[in-house]
Amino acid sequence: MAFVKLSDLTIQYQSYDSKVAWPPTIDHLSATFESGTLTLLTGPSGSGKSTLLKTIAGLYPKFGEASVSGSVTIETSSTQPRVAMMFQDPNQQFAMDTVERELRFALENLQVEADKIDDQVQAALDYVGISNLRHRQLNNLSGGEKQKVALAIIVAMDSEVILLDEPFASIDPAARQTLLIKLRQLNQEAHKTVIIADHDLLNYEPYVDGLVRLSDDGHQLRFFDRDAAHDVFEAFKNSAQLDISVTLPQPNEPTAVTLNQTSLIAGDRTLLKPTSFTFPEHRVILLTGINGSGKSTLLRAITNLSNYIGDITVAGVSTSRFHKNQRYQQVGLVFQEADDQFLNVTVAEELALSLKHSRHPEYFQARLDDDLNNLGLADLREHVVYSLSGGQKKKLQILIMLIMATPILLLDEPFTGLDLQSLNTVVALVKDVQQAFKLTLIMISHQLQGLAPLIDYHAVLANQTLTYVEAIR
Amino acid sequence: MNPTLKFVLAVLIALEISFTSSWTVNVILAVIGLVIILAARPGWKRLLSLIFWPLIPAVALAVAILMQSRSTGNTQFAIVLFTRIYAYVFIGSAATLTTPIYELVMSLEQNAHVPTKFAYGFLGGFNLMPKIVTEVKTIRVAALMRGETLHFWSPQLYFKAIIAALRWSENLAEAMTSHGFVEDAPRTHRVTVRIRSRDWIIAIGSLILLQGLLFGLHLA
Repeated sequence: MAFVKLSDLTIQYQSYDSKVAWPPTIDHLSATFESGTLTLLTGPSGSGKSTLLKTIAGLYPKFGEASVSGSVTIETSSTQPRVAMMFQDPNQQFAMDTVERELRFALENLQVEADKIDDQVQAALDYVGISNLRHRQLNNLSGGEKQKVALAIIVAMDSEVILLDEPFASIDPAARQTLLIKLRQLNQEAHKTVIIADHDLLNYEPYVDGLVRLSDDGHQLRFFDRDAAHDVFEAFKNSAQLDISVTLPQPNEPTAVTLNQTSLIAGDRTLLKPTSFTFPEHRVILLTGINGSGKSTLLRAITNLSNYIGDITVAGVSTSRFHKNQRYQQVGLVFQEADDQFLNVTVAEELALSLKHSRHPEYFQARLDDDLNNLGLADLREHVVYSLSGGQKKKLQILIMLIMATPILLLDEPFTGLDLQSLNTVVALVKDVQQAFKLTLIMISHQLQGLAPLIDYHAVLANQTLTYVEAIR
Repeated sequence: MNPTLKFVLAVLIALEISFTSSWTVNVILAVIGLVIILAARPGWKRLLSLIFWPLIPAVALAVAILMQSRSTGNTQFAIVLFTRIYAYVFIGSAATLTTPIYELVMSLEQNAHVPTKFAYGFLGGFNLMPKIVTEVKTIRVAALMRGETLHFWSPQLYFKAIIAALRWSENLAEAMTSHGFVEDAPRTHRVTVRIRSRDWIIAIGSLILLQGLLFGLHLA
C-alpha cells in the first residue's frame, strides 16, 4: 500500500543553447495518487507524461538533463518504497542478455538470499504466464514478449508503485489485454498503486479506477470522477472509427512492390513462408498482424535492411539488381524509432536537407510554413531534434520523409505517441502528399483510429502468409 | 579455471615474454595457446583470422628488424619478435575464447572486487555490440533515403553513432536503476564464483614452469 504525492513539482529541461531557456515541462504541479488505485494518466503528446513518471520513479533528476524542484513523496508502510517503471520502448529496459539473468540481476540488487532467487524468478514468470521464455535471449524476443518480461521483473521485485509509460505503444491487442489483466490483478489482489500513461484510451475503462489528464502546459492534473471519465472514454471511442471495410485490389493493377517466393526468417522462427504477393502502385496499403508476426521485418526486407530469401521487386527492378543508391531513390522507410531518421542537429537543418534532395521542392517549400504551424512545430525550428518530445519527433520524421516524395514510402508505426488531434493533422498531410504525387504507401499501424480516410487496401500478415482482407478492425 | 585468475595469468605471461628473448619459449606458448583455442572449437573463419591478422604486424616487425640490423646480421631478434606476436595473440585468445563474458564479469565483481558499476556497465555495453553493427547500417540507409551518401570518413556517421551510444548508455543506466541497481550497494549472488585451490595450482604451476623453461634455455 502506497500513495504518491506531488507537491509543487516543477521539472525543467536544460536547453542545449544557453541563451534559450525552455519553459518548464511540469509547472508547479500538486496532486495525490491514492493508495491501491489503478490510474490512467492521459494528455496531449509532449505534455510531459513521461517526464512526470520518470521523476516519480526517481530517475530524474539523477539522469536526464532536467532540473527538478518541489517534491515527490511516496507514503508506504515499508521503509524502502520500491517504485518500478516499465518503459515505452521495450528494447531499452534490460542490462543482461537472457530473461533469467535479468530477473536474477534485479533480485540480487534487492539482496534476496541466493537460495530463494530461483524460486522467485519462477514464481514471477508463472504469474505473467511466460515460463517458456525463461532461457531465451532478450534480443530475440518480440516487443510484446519483452514487455511481459518487464512486468515479470516488476512482479519479482514486489514494487509497491508501478509506473508504465505508454507500455502498449508497439505491441498487439492480445498482448496488451494480457498485460492489462495482470496489472489489474496486481492492483486488486496485491494492492499495488499503478499509474499508466497513455494517450490511446481505447479499452481501458473496465480496468481503471480513475482517469487523470495532464494539461498542455504541464500545470494541472485534472482528476475525472467515474461519470466524467465514462464520458471521456465514450467520446474517445466514438472518435475512433474502427469498423470500416475496404475493397480488395484488382488482379490487373500495376504493382509497386512484388514478392516472388520471398520468405523471412528471424533466428529460428519462420515469419513468412515462401510467398508471392503484390502491393499495387499509387495506393495506401495498411499492413496489420499480431505482434511479432514479422511486419517490421517485411518492411526492412523491402528496404534491404533485413535479410530475406527469394526476390523482392521494387518499381520493376529486382532488389538484388538495384545499385544501392538508386534503390533508395525509389523506396523510403519511416522508421519505427524516430531518432533513426534524423541526420542533423536542428529541426531547420532536417527540413533543409529534405528540401535539397526532394523530388518536388517547390510544392513543399510553398506549404512548409502552414504544415509546421498545423503540426505545432513552427516555434521549434531552432531546437535540437533529439530534445523534442516523442510526438513532436514523430511529426517531424513523417514530414521530412514526405518532403522527399519518394514514389514508394513504407511507414512502420508512424502514429505512435500522437494524440488524436495531431493524428488527424498528420493523416490529412499524408493524404495530401500521397494524392498530389500518387505515392504508394505501405503502412504498419496498430493504431487504427482516424486512419479510415487514408486506407485503400488492407493486408494481413498472419500464420506466415500475407492476404488482403476487406474488414479493418 | 576461474576467469579472473585466468586473465591475470595471461597478462603475467605476456609481460614476462616481453622482457625475455627466447623464441623457443614463444613458440611453446603459442602452441599451448593454439591447443587451448582448438579445444574450444572455434569456427573456421575465426581460426583463420586469428592466424592471418597477426601475420601483418609480425612480418612488418621482423622485416623492419632485419633491414635495420642487416649489418649486424641479427636474425635471431627478428624471429623472437615474430614469434612473440603469435604468443601474445594465441595466449590472449585462449583466455577470451574459453570465457563467456557473463562469467568474466561475475568473477571480476566477486573475486577481483571491481566496482559493480563498471562490471555491469561493461556487460551491458558488451550486450549492445550487435546493435552497433545494425545501427551503422541503419544510419547509412537513413542518409541514402534522404539523398546523401555517407562514407566511413563522414562526420555525420560518427555524430549519429555517438548520439546513439549516448542514448543507449543513459537508457542502460535507467534500466539498471529501475531494476534496483544501486552503485556500490551490497548485492547477493545467485551463483557464487570461487577461486578454487586447483585454480591457484594451475596459475602458480604455469608460472613456475615458465620460469624453469626460460632459465633452462638460458643455461643451454
